[in-house]
Amino acid sequence: MLNVDLIEKMRKIVGKENLSISSCELYCYSSDASQIRGVPEVVIKPLSTAQVSEIIKIAYAHNISVTARGAGTGLSGGCVPLEGGIVLDMSAMNRIVEMDFDNLQVVVEPGIVQEKLNKALEPYGFFFPPDPGSSAMCTLGGLIANNGSGMRSVKYGTTRSYVLGLEVVMADGEIVRTGSKTMKSVAGYSLTDLMVGSEGTLGIITQAIIKVRAIPKDRSVIFASFDNPELAGKAVVKVLASGIVPSACEILDSNIIRAINTYDPKIGLPLAGAILLFEVDGSEAEVKEGVNLIVKTCEGLASGIRTASDKKERDEIWAARRLAGAAISRLDPMRTRVYVGEDVGVPIKEIPKMLRKVDEISKEFNLPIMTYGHIGDGNLHTGMCIDMLSDEDWMKLNAAADRIHRTAIAMGGTTTAEHGVGSARSEYMRLELGNALDIMIAIKKALDPKGILNPGKMGV
Amino acid sequence: MSNLDLRSILKCVRCGTCRSVCPIFEQTGWESASSRGRMLVAHGIYHGLEADQDVLNSLNTCTTCGLCEQMCPSGASPTQIVQNARHHLVLKGKMTDSQAALRDEATSKGNPLGETRYRHAWLKNASDIKEHAPYVFFVGCLGSYRYPELTRRTFDLLKKFDVTLIPEEVCCGSPLLRTGSDPDFLISKNLEQIKKIGAHTIITGCAGCYTTLRNDYPDGLKVLHVSEFLAERLSEMNLKRLDIKVTYHDPCHLGRCNGVFDAPRKIITSICELKEMKTHHQQSRCCGAGGGVLKGYPDLSLALSKKRLEEIPEGVDYLVTSCPLCRTNLQRGGPKVEVIDILDLLEMAMK
Repeated sequence: MLNVDLIEKMRKIVGKENLSISSCELYCYSSDASQIRGVPEVVIKPLSTAQVSEIIKIAYAHNISVTARGAGTGLSGGCVPLEGGIVLDMSAMNRIVEMDFDNLQVVVEPGIVQEKLNKALEPYGFFFPPDPGSSAMCTLGGLIANNGSGMRSVKYGTTRSYVLGLEVVMADGEIVRTGSKTMKSVAGYSLTDLMVGSEGTLGIITQAIIKVRAIPKDRSVIFASFDNPELAGKAVVKVLASGIVPSACEILDSNIIRAINTYDPKIGLPLAGAILLFEVDGSEAEVKEGVNLIVKTCEGLASGIRTASDKKERDEIWAARRLAGAAISRLDPMRTRVYVGEDVGVPIKEIPKMLRKVDEISKEFNLPIMTYGHIGDGNLHTGMCIDMLSDEDWMKLNAAADRIHRTAIAMGGTTTAEHGVGSARSEYMRLELGNALDIMIAIKKALDPKGILNPGKMGV
Repeated sequence: MSNLDLRSILKCVRCGTCRSVCPIFEQTGWESASSRGRMLVAHGIYHGLEADQDVLNSLNTCTTCGLCEQMCPSGASPTQIVQNARHHLVLKGKMTDSQAALRDEATSKGNPLGETRYRHAWLKNASDIKEHAPYVFFVGCLGSYRYPELTRRTFDLLKKFDVTLIPEEVCCGSPLLRTGSDPDFLISKNLEQIKKIGAHTIITGCAGCYTTLRNDYPDGLKVLHVSEFLAERLSEMNLKRLDIKVTYHDPCHLGRCNGVFDAPRKIITSICELKEMKTHHQQSRCCGAGGGVLKGYPDLSLALSKKRLEEIPEGVDYLVTSCPLCRTNLQRGGPKVEVIDILDLLEMAMK
C-alpha cells in the first residue's frame, strides 16, 4: 500500500516538481478520451529509465499498481488507473536520443509526440508513417503500447512494423533490452513484438529503436463520391484487388461529411451518401499510374470522382479528417461524441456487409451512427453522439456498441483494430480470442506475478 | 451552479487536441494546466471537487488566449468555461490573492492598477473633452497610467476626427470578467457617460478593452480598434514610406477572438515592409499576459513572453503590436528588437 514514507521516497527519486498528490491533479489524470474512470493516488513524471526502474522496484516491493500514460488520448481506458496506485506520466521523457539515418532508424524516448518526431525527421527527408488522428498530441510510447496506426496503415502497416527494439522496465524493476538495431533478427522469441500492443500490462517502455522511411516524392488525393456506403465498400474491395496499394483509403459517410464541412467550411466536400478518400504516394510515375487505376476501378460505382487540386487542398482535407471523430460533436449542440464501440475491424471482403449491419443497428436502436475510418484495412470507426444527460441515450449507446462488437466478431473480425483493448473492450476478449486468452494470462502471470502493471486491462 | 453549465462542460470529448496548442501546458507539462484538464476541473467542481489552491491554480493559469477553442474539434468553449468556473468560485469567496487584489483595486479605485491619480492627467487641454461627439476614445487603464505619452499622441490624432473622451472613464471591466468578478458597476458607469455623449462608436487601442466593449457591453454600440478607425483614414494622413521591416504580434483578444487581423496589417504595409512572425493570424501564440496570468503568475507569464519573442523573424527593426498589455509583457521578455505600438509606427511615418 502507498503511504507517506513511500511517497517521500519516490519524491526523492524524481524530484519534488515531478510528483503530485494534489487532488486536483489526480482528478485530471483519472480519465482518457474513453468513458473509463479511475483516480490515481500519485502521479509521477520520471525523467530517465533509472528513475522508472527505481519507482517500479518500490511498487513491486509494496504491491502498488503502476499505470503508464503518454498523452492520455486513448479511447479504451488503457492509461486509466482502475486500482488507484501510481500513474507514470511518461510525457517528460521526450528526447530523440539518436538519429541514425544510415541505418534508417532513430532512437527515441516514449514521451515524444508523433508530430514532433516527424517535424524533426522532415529536414532529413524521413518520416515515421503511423499517423493516428491524434498525431498532434499522442506519444510514441502510447502508439507502441497500443500498436496504434491510422490512415496510412493500408500501405505502411501499424506501429509494430517500425519497432526494431525496445528498452523496457519489467515488473520487478529490471531493465531489459529487446530486439536490436538490425533490420532482421531471429535470435529468440520476439519480445519486441510481445511488448508492442501490450498496453503497459507487461512492462514500461522507456526507449525505442524506430525504423523510419524516406518521404515519398509525390502524392495525390482522390475524392470519390457514392450514393451509399455499401457501394463505397464494394469499390474498396475492387481497388485493393486491382494491385494498387493506396497510401490511404478512408471512408466518410454523409454525417461525417457534414461534420467536416462544419469544422472547416473551406473544405466543402460534396454532400454524397459516402465519400472515399484515396491517397497514392511514390514517384511521379507511380502516383500517376495509381490515380488512373483507382479512377478506372471506381467507374460504374462512383457517382463522382476528382483529384485534389494541390498540396494545400490535400493538407486541409487530411487535417480535417484527423479531427473528424471529435468534430461529430459539432453537428448538434445538445450531443457529444462518445467513444464506445468505435473501432471494429473486419476482413476486407466483409466491409460492405459490415457497413450494412451498422446501418441496421443504427435503425434498430434509433441512434444515428456515423461511419468513417480506414476502410482500406477493414477498420471502421462508428461514431455515436448522445445527449450526455440522458440515461436512455446511454442505454441505447451501450446496447448498440455491444451489438457492433458482437457483429464484428461473428464475421471473423475484431473489436479493436487500432485503439486498444484497455478496459473498454476487455469483456470481449474471451469471445474474440478463445483459449488464446489463456496463453495471454499465462504470459502475464510469468512476467508480472504480482499483477501490479496496469491491472484490470486486456482481459488478463 | 447557474453559471456552470454541465452540458457545455461535457462538450469536451477529452481528445487532448488542446495539449498540442495550450502554451501554459507546454510550460508546465501537467494535465491540470491544459484546457482538457481545466474542463475536467470544472466538471469536478460541479460534482463537488474541493476548490483548493491547486484547483484555483489550474483555472487561473489560463490566459484566455482562445487557441484551444480555435483548434477544438468538438466545438467546446474552454475559455468561457474557465471564466464561468472562476466566477462560480469567486461567488463562493474562493479566489487567489491576485484575483482579490484586481477586484478590490478596480472596485475602490476604478482601475486594477491601484492608481489614485486623475485618469486623464495626460491630457494637455481639458477643453478637448467635448460634451457631445459621434466618437468616443476609450483610453483604458494601461493607456491612462502606463503609456500616457502614447495616449496623448493617439488622442491628438483622433481628436481631428470628431472624437472625444469619457470624462470620468473607469476600467472597462475586462480584468474582472476574465478573473471571475462582477464588472457591472464599471460597465454602467462607462455606459451612462457614453449615452450622454451620444456617441455611436467607441474607439480603443487596447485588445482587452476591445473584446470587453464589443462582447460584454450591451448591444448597439459599434466598437473599433484604433487601427481599424485609422486604417480607413490613411489617405488623409500624408504618410511617407519608411525603409524598415517590422513584424506584428496579433493580440489574442483582438485577432483570434474578434477577427481584427487586416486593419493593423493595412497600416503597417502602407508604411513599410511586414514580415510575419512564425505564428500569426488565428494561430498566433499568446504573449502570456491575459486572463490575469501576468498579475497572478508572473514567472509563467514571462516564460510565455520569451517563447513568443522567439518567433520574431530575422532582419526586422521593430515588433509592432496593438495592445498595451501585450506590449508590456513582450517588453518584459527581453526582446531583441524594440516593441512598439502601431500608433508609434504611424507617427514615425507622419514626421
